[in-house]
Amino acid sequence: MRFHAALALAACLAPAVAIFEDDAHHIDFHHALIGRPKHDATFFQKPYAGSKASLLYTISQNNTIGAVNPKDGTLVWRHVPPADARGQTSLRAGEDQDTVVSAVGDRVTAWSASDGRIVWDARTPGATVEDLEILEQEDGITNSDSKDPIVLLSGAEQAIKRLDGKTGRVKWTFEDASGDTPFQLSSSPSTIYYISLHAPMLGGSKLRVTSISPVTGKKIDQYTLSSDGEIQNRDDILFAGANTAAPLLAWTDKARSVLKINIIGTKGVTSITPPSGEPVQDIILHAPNRINSLAHFLVEYKTRKGQAAEVYHVDLKKNNIKKAYDLPGLFGRGTFSVSTSDANVYFTRITLREVTVTSSASDKILGKWEVKGIASLVGSWPVQAVSEVVVKGGSATAVRTALYFSNGQWVLIRNGEVAWERPEFLYGITSATWAELAEQEALAHELEVEGHQNVVSAYVHRVSRHVRDLEQLPAWLQSIPNRVLSSVIGKNDESAIDEVQHDHFGFHKLVIVATEQGRLAAIDVGSQGKPVWNVDLHDLAPGVTFTAPSVKAFRGYVEVKDPASPSAWYVNATTGGLLSPVDLKHESPVTTDKNIITFDLLDGKLKGFLNSAQGSAEPIWTFTPPSGERITSYVARPSVDPVASIGRVLGDRRVLYKYLNPNLVLVTSVIEASQSASIYLLDSASGQLLHAVSHKDVDVTRPIPATISENWFSYSFTLSSSATSTRGYQLVISDLYESSLPDDRGPLGASSNSSTVQPSDAKGDSNKPYVLSQTFQIPEEISHMSVTQTRQGITSRELLVTLPNSNAIVGIPRAIIDPRRPVGRDPTAQEASEGLVRYTPHLLFDPKWHLNHKYELVGIKNVIACESGLESTSLVFAYGHDVFGTRVAPSFAFDILGKGFNKIQMLVTVAALFVGVLFVAPLVRRKQINTLWQA
Amino acid sequence: MKCSLFSLAGLASTALGARFALHVPNTQLVNPSTLPSSTHAILQSSGPPQEAYLTRSNSFNFYNVSAGSYLVTIHSRDALFEPLRIDVSLEEAVEGSGDKKEVIKSWQTFIGNEWDNKGESRGEGGNGVVLEARLLGKKYYFQERSGFSPLSFLKNPMMLMALFSMVLIFGMPKLMENMDPETRAEFEEMQKQSPLASGGAANPAQAMQNFDLASWMAGKTDTSNSRGHSPAPQGKKRG
Repeated sequence: MRFHAALALAACLAPAVAIFEDDAHHIDFHHALIGRPKHDATFFQKPYAGSKASLLYTISQNNTIGAVNPKDGTLVWRHVPPADARGQTSLRAGEDQDTVVSAVGDRVTAWSASDGRIVWDARTPGATVEDLEILEQEDGITNSDSKDPIVLLSGAEQAIKRLDGKTGRVKWTFEDASGDTPFQLSSSPSTIYYISLHAPMLGGSKLRVTSISPVTGKKIDQYTLSSDGEIQNRDDILFAGANTAAPLLAWTDKARSVLKINIIGTKGVTSITPPSGEPVQDIILHAPNRINSLAHFLVEYKTRKGQAAEVYHVDLKKNNIKKAYDLPGLFGRGTFSVSTSDANVYFTRITLREVTVTSSASDKILGKWEVKGIASLVGSWPVQAVSEVVVKGGSATAVRTALYFSNGQWVLIRNGEVAWERPEFLYGITSATWAELAEQEALAHELEVEGHQNVVSAYVHRVSRHVRDLEQLPAWLQSIPNRVLSSVIGKNDESAIDEVQHDHFGFHKLVIVATEQGRLAAIDVGSQGKPVWNVDLHDLAPGVTFTAPSVKAFRGYVEVKDPASPSAWYVNATTGGLLSPVDLKHESPVTTDKNIITFDLLDGKLKGFLNSAQGSAEPIWTFTPPSGERITSYVARPSVDPVASIGRVLGDRRVLYKYLNPNLVLVTSVIEASQSASIYLLDSASGQLLHAVSHKDVDVTRPIPATISENWFSYSFTLSSSATSTRGYQLVISDLYESSLPDDRGPLGASSNSSTVQPSDAKGDSNKPYVLSQTFQIPEEISHMSVTQTRQGITSRELLVTLPNSNAIVGIPRAIIDPRRPVGRDPTAQEASEGLVRYTPHLLFDPKWHLNHKYELVGIKNVIACESGLESTSLVFAYGHDVFGTRVAPSFAFDILGKGFNKIQMLVTVAALFVGVLFVAPLVRRKQINTLWQA
Repeated sequence: MKCSLFSLAGLASTALGARFALHVPNTQLVNPSTLPSSTHAILQSSGPPQEAYLTRSNSFNFYNVSAGSYLVTIHSRDALFEPLRIDVSLEEAVEGSGDKKEVIKSWQTFIGNEWDNKGESRGEGGNGVVLEARLLGKKYYFQERSGFSPLSFLKNPMMLMALFSMVLIFGMPKLMENMDPETRAEFEEMQKQSPLASGGAANPAQAMQNFDLASWMAGKTDTSNSRGHSPAPQGKKRG
């Protein structure tokens, strides 16, 4: 009940700065990412037996399990396992089952296929799951009720286990004490095959195949295959067919001159020679993974120029492999996919130009579609594909293929047309920065040129610039009727998205992002997060392996750096093209600062250097935490942080002056032994300690996010279990003022000049701020904090906190967490006029403060804010696992008309009033005349 | 019920620590079967918290929970849950037997309150106990746009006042006409007393037009200056 009351109170406190329902999904965007899908664990599957539509299931290389609607590419459900999962991950589904089973690290989990709920969960502490297969048939009989998964474990326990498909309980265990490296499981209708790499004393390794009875889990047979030293580790095995009618094992030599295939269960090895001509770069085997399909497979040969393929049939009775037909070699990159329909096997060949479907039985082309390319796929090629084919009366009537392209787009092509694309390359952004659009940059540059010239030449330059601008006048005049019409009818959203040029409000800003995969991309935050360009950093800088690239924006270009390399690369912000340092000279901004003090964390101490002379010179100041303390992080006040008012007007019209120091740094440090955390406020110019505070009973293993802006800072921590008074999470906010007294400017108030480098010299007392703090108990952990930014700083600010448990970003209005809220009493009339309400120790996050509303933002690492063209509005961009962007107006959108303003209604009202005046005017005139006569 | 909730088993033969489930009952407010699959419960003591996702049977299952006092928070996109305190302890089932068993107790707890300030019990028992996770309500993220509605327009006090005076101005003459002569005379007599009706009583609209608010406010009572020809219309005519 108390909770209800608190909730109601919080709701009353909150000024309604929530998102309007009709603005949601228009002003904001969310890329719910999965990452690069794993080819062998991506499939179309019906979510339950008898379902009409199928979903596209996948597990990505970062272990995210997801179900995507193949119609429009939206995510149906998704699950992100903890980041520390090791081993081979896989995702499998039994036919006609309502579950999909995943194996990640030490966990085997069955998920409800339609909504992603957990059905059962089995763990193997200490062991890792190497492989997972679903037992489709048992002694040749399909058990449609529930299909049991079999798992291969390594690590603490090397064994094969059969789990119950309904509960996850272990049915039997087959222990493998041979010490071989476990590789894979494969099943045929009657037997389970366990393939391991057997390393004999004399180099090389052999493949050991053990057959196990699916019913009892007892060993039936075992044999080894000699690979003639061609297989050294698991990566050398090209293909190990799982769950096929004829399970195959294929490997090749280093030169890819011969392909060797073994039908698992037999000892014979068939050698296949690739077609002569171009040297083969890669060989890929495509075989159906349905147990009751025909035992046909396709071998794809990739060469430098194109690809060719051969289709083979396996004769199960004679245990041999025969070539059926060739698919002609084609120039250009492409890929193949396998799909089945009943027992028939179809191969879909996808190139950049066309999609063709052939049956495995003959080389007749069953269907052919031209691919209509789209702009975002230019310069890339399909890497892997899964298909679904509809065949009626001997010809393919429809085909849809989910393709992963080399530029990281996951695309579905339906009958030759691109149905949707998912920008999976945006997964794992390590660094992001705001960049201005080229047009704005050009104007700013021109204005700067004028500013640095003498009056006459600046005037000539200006006039000539205006004359040049006249060229665009006719086009602008032509666009007026359209714009007026669309704005009245109310369809301006769509047009605004396309036209980056007509950006009146400065909402279209580019964010340049670099990912851990080494991709660099630009996203237009104003256009629903549309990727503008997308390049591979490895193309820009051959030979460098990017691990955690960082980006920094300059005027019109971006600097890219990586810890793996000492050099930096410069990239044009609008096109993504590489710039040579020569191009940059005339674009470099004019810096007037002579002395810049930089600081960094070195050897556990924070050190300040003059003119970034790190390493060589002596630091000009050093901040050493007390012994036993470890600095966990530091955060500086943003370099661009405009403040509109230097004071805060109180209810009685007196002024409390803000302590505004541009060089503030907030340092957080912890002591593990005593479970305490300390916060230090430093002046980065002088290295002076301005304020220090310490908290006991802090869980130092959890993050302590902090931020600093204007004249206040905030941080949050988790209370440890040793805390006796209360448990949970706390948020602390501190205001800095020049003096505790209103209308007083502290010790330096009277002096016209003061030095930040030596704040405490002759005056006797240093210019330390007066700090006012308040602590709030919050319902959940905060992983990151930042602050909204507006152009002039007039708009009140919002503290943006990332809640990893709620998958949300919450904007807490600054007025709510004001440390001046009166404690233990109701506010006086004067305090109430300042907007202060009585302090409550708990702060509940109102759902209306959530910037992301119904979106679920997974794994957000950082949130960056930027000013827009409007004072009321700040742009926000969040990245990490997912990508999210929105606009926030902490003090309402006071300088722009919202969607609530009905333009048609306004026009109708004006027209109605005009008509009314036309009617009423003669009446009034007559009446007035009558009055005069009557009087 | 308990059996179906714990139909899940660890592959490991030895289970350390306690295991229990939090079950979300069906309520009028929210049907737990409609909650998204990302709904999860967090068991926080110190260090990395333990996490459990919602299962198909609307429960959260925790395994291998070591003894201690835990804060449980449940996070969902669509609904708000009550925070819980769960204490796991090892107790001897029979005094002196030396056979220790896990005992799990749960209470509701309150944010910003002392840890010992426990609320109602939400169930207790041995290993495999099913505790209750209560839903408090739905989350509403969006703000209603205050759209135009004729009713709210009419409810405005300014509008009501305007409408009332309109009724007076236009309705009164009609009312007067329908009155019998005696009552009308009486009424006119009454109106002469009232300051509003200082002008021609037959034409209240005109009287209203010529009403001298300033003089009325000043308490002026003589009616000599207002006999229908106020300065304004005359001035207009001459101009």
